[in-house]
Amino acid sequence: MHRNVFLAGALLVAIGLALFSVKTLQYGIPVAPTENLGPWQVELRISARGDGARGSVRALLPSTEGGQVIFDERSSSDRLQFSIRERGGNRVGVWTGWLQDVHEVVYQFRVQSHAVSTPLPSQGPFPDPPRALRSVWGQPSPGIPSDAPQVKELLESLRLPTAADQPARIRTIYSFVSHEIATVRSASSDALLTLARREGNGEGKERLLVTLLRAAGIPARLAHGLGLREGTAPDELLWAEAWVAEVWVPMSAVHDFFETTPDDYIVLGRSNVPVVEATGVSAIGHRFQSLREHLRPDEIANLLAPDNRLFAWLSLYRLPVTWQAVLRVLLLVPLGALVVALFRNLVGITTYGTFMPVLIGLALRGFPLHLGLALVAVVIAIGYFARFSLERLRLLMVPRLSIMLCFVVLAVTLFALTGQDTGMSSLFAGALLPIVILTMLIERVYITTSEEGTREALLRAFWSVLVASAIHPIFRSTHAEYLMFSFPELVIVVMGLLVWIGGYMGYRVVDLIRFRELAGGEIPGGSAR
Amino acid sequence: MIGALRRRGVLGINRRNADYTLAWNQRRLYPLVDDKLTTKRLCQQAGIPVPKLLAVAQTHLESRRLLDKLEGVPAFVLKPARGAMGNGILVLDQRDGKLWRGTRPYSREDFEYHAAGIISGLYSLAGHSDAAMVEEKLETHPALAPLRNDGVPDIRVIVYRGVPVMCMMRMPTRLSDSRANLHQGAVGIGIDLVSGRAVHAMLRGHRVENSPDTGVPILGLVLPEFDVILRTAVAATDQTGLGYVGADVVLDARLGPVILELNARPGLAIQLANQAGLLPRLDAVDARLGPKGAPPVELTLEERIELGRSIAARLSR
Repeated sequence: MHRNVFLAGALLVAIGLALFSVKTLQYGIPVAPTENLGPWQVELRISARGDGARGSVRALLPSTEGGQVIFDERSSSDRLQFSIRERGGNRVGVWTGWLQDVHEVVYQFRVQSHAVSTPLPSQGPFPDPPRALRSVWGQPSPGIPSDAPQVKELLESLRLPTAADQPARIRTIYSFVSHEIATVRSASSDALLTLARREGNGEGKERLLVTLLRAAGIPARLAHGLGLREGTAPDELLWAEAWVAEVWVPMSAVHDFFETTPDDYIVLGRSNVPVVEATGVSAIGHRFQSLREHLRPDEIANLLAPDNRLFAWLSLYRLPVTWQAVLRVLLLVPLGALVVALFRNLVGITTYGTFMPVLIGLALRGFPLHLGLALVAVVIAIGYFARFSLERLRLLMVPRLSIMLCFVVLAVTLFALTGQDTGMSSLFAGALLPIVILTMLIERVYITTSEEGTREALLRAFWSVLVASAIHPIFRSTHAEYLMFSFPELVIVVMGLLVWIGGYMGYRVVDLIRFRELAGGEIPGGSAR
Repeated sequence: MIGALRRRGVLGINRRNADYTLAWNQRRLYPLVDDKLTTKRLCQQAGIPVPKLLAVAQTHLESRRLLDKLEGVPAFVLKPARGAMGNGILVLDQRDGKLWRGTRPYSREDFEYHAAGIISGLYSLAGHSDAAMVEEKLETHPALAPLRNDGVPDIRVIVYRGVPVMCMMRMPTRLSDSRANLHQGAVGIGIDLVSGRAVHAMLRGHRVENSPDTGVPILGLVLPEFDVILRTAVAATDQTGLGYVGADVVLDARLGPVILELNARPGLAIQLANQAGLLPRLDAVDARLGPKGAPPVELTLEERIELGRSIAARLSR
């Protein structure tokens, strides 16, 4: 290695490591995730379009209660006035103003949540609910037609236990909705239709549950919440809560829980109206995003705002959740490139396309390796066959490649359909686009096969898989993701290492194998050094 | 093992890329050798013999008329102007207005499709669009013909700073499908620079003594017109301004040595064929011509060939 190259590399490594050590030593930022089940970072993004009229956008905001602690709330209001109000026991974020064109408002929070169990009291007597409570949560209301004759009829047919034994009544009603009403995604969300047809969608079933409870004299309400999941957007959920002996007991006939909300379910509020609604707008849409952190809340605070203005400004943790999600992946790419450089310049193996293994690693990030490779193999096999058939038609290259692209898109679409049926749909979200890159891979495999023989093509495929397999665990590693995202300066270290690899003038492993004949006469590894 | 290779001066890929091709071959000069049409023009201008160009097609429209221009030509070679590693080369005979590939008939449609593929950039470096060129088919010199069954052997000379430093012949075999690519099973034959004599022969990393196809002994064969071969190779590289080149020469039965192509990233397998490392020879050239950037030592073509031969003679003793 030339001296200048060594020094340049050393300089980069030193700069990166210096920043890294200041952050870890002085500001106490941990070098590894400390908490496997840390808090969640959640973002609500609402787009509202207006025609210049005055209006408002309202959203249910979570509060600290039960098993959830809300902290680090932030919002951006995009030309509107933002305020938080108390309405019917809920916190409601209100954005008001003249709505002109598209406004995009964002509300972010972090939440630490754990499951809390609220069992039904087992022993009576059970006090009657206070009048005030009954007047809010015990009466028929829009969407909760607890005074409808069909509802009364049904309750009679259920032969409910005595009114004094509220827990038993709740169990009977819950069990009826849970077992006798089918959950059909395309079915109605209306309580009475759900009852009449014995099938309803998630909302329909929960509404029916609340309706029946109220009709049976038990105060009940709908709770809006989020089911947070790693690697995908949270589910917006609805469930029921019933009041017994001073406590609200959660239950869901759709998500199959009773008394205990599952882990990572958080409550946004209790309301009959949707989570997000607006007046004076011509169109509105909203979407939740979430990310799980792997740190304790105090450590996150440190990362968010170390008491150094520069580091605080440089902290990626203050970015919107969607950007963070992208950057978390992007910052892993240099590590993939490093692996490729190691394999190519120190070992000397040839892969299909220089960064193809990185792209494949990225595409397969959401899959376990064996599944991902199987997917790639199947797509390539289909594509190869298609390519083989196309050869006879003698098409020119660009249209032919475009046809291949269509084949790949169709193949992936087919996978998505089967994935939906096998419950793997969530894994697909991120993988779709990069897989299209496989088109070029198919063409390369085909040409290598016809030009240099099947053996060479398979060998190269083997090396590509090997490199991709080396990269894949890095891309999936929570630790690597945490490290690169919390310490983006490590990219500079990677650059330094790459300078060193680029300046390595010694033999590659393949040189040694190729020229072993020329080392003959000397015992390998013996006197050779 | 690493020490043994180092002592023998074996040049590895990393070092070749950094210290030789990157250092001595300016990027802007690459097109001169990457495009065979340009190389051919350069050589012709300097009076260096090359295979005759029969027709060129730059566009798909022209590719349909290629065959019209080839009427009455008994044998020719269709190749991409910017191909790599002998990919996309098609050798055809023409009898009674019909095309033959070896003993099998080859349709005109296949020919046009192949030419269209070339023009689309199927075989070119990085897939850029390319030109399809048709050259006369070369005939192997009678002295070399008995060594192989089919295909044309070529002679690779590594020329460093205008000095020939190593030479090998690549002999196509049935195994290599009549192509002169070593990794596909062509025989690499080390040629002594002083005498033009075949001194070693390697087939896929193993030593051989006789031709695998015909059984004719290889070792001891002396290349005819070897002085002309070296002169042709060095003269051609002089036209490019590149400092580290592999010149591919074919010894044609009629034309004598002709330049087939030049390569700005010549492979390293030549060291295996010669059972010798390149580094001592390259260092010896540097020692005589001075370091890069120093005032150049001007030598005539003859003096440089003499220098290369004396270095080879000294180091192989």
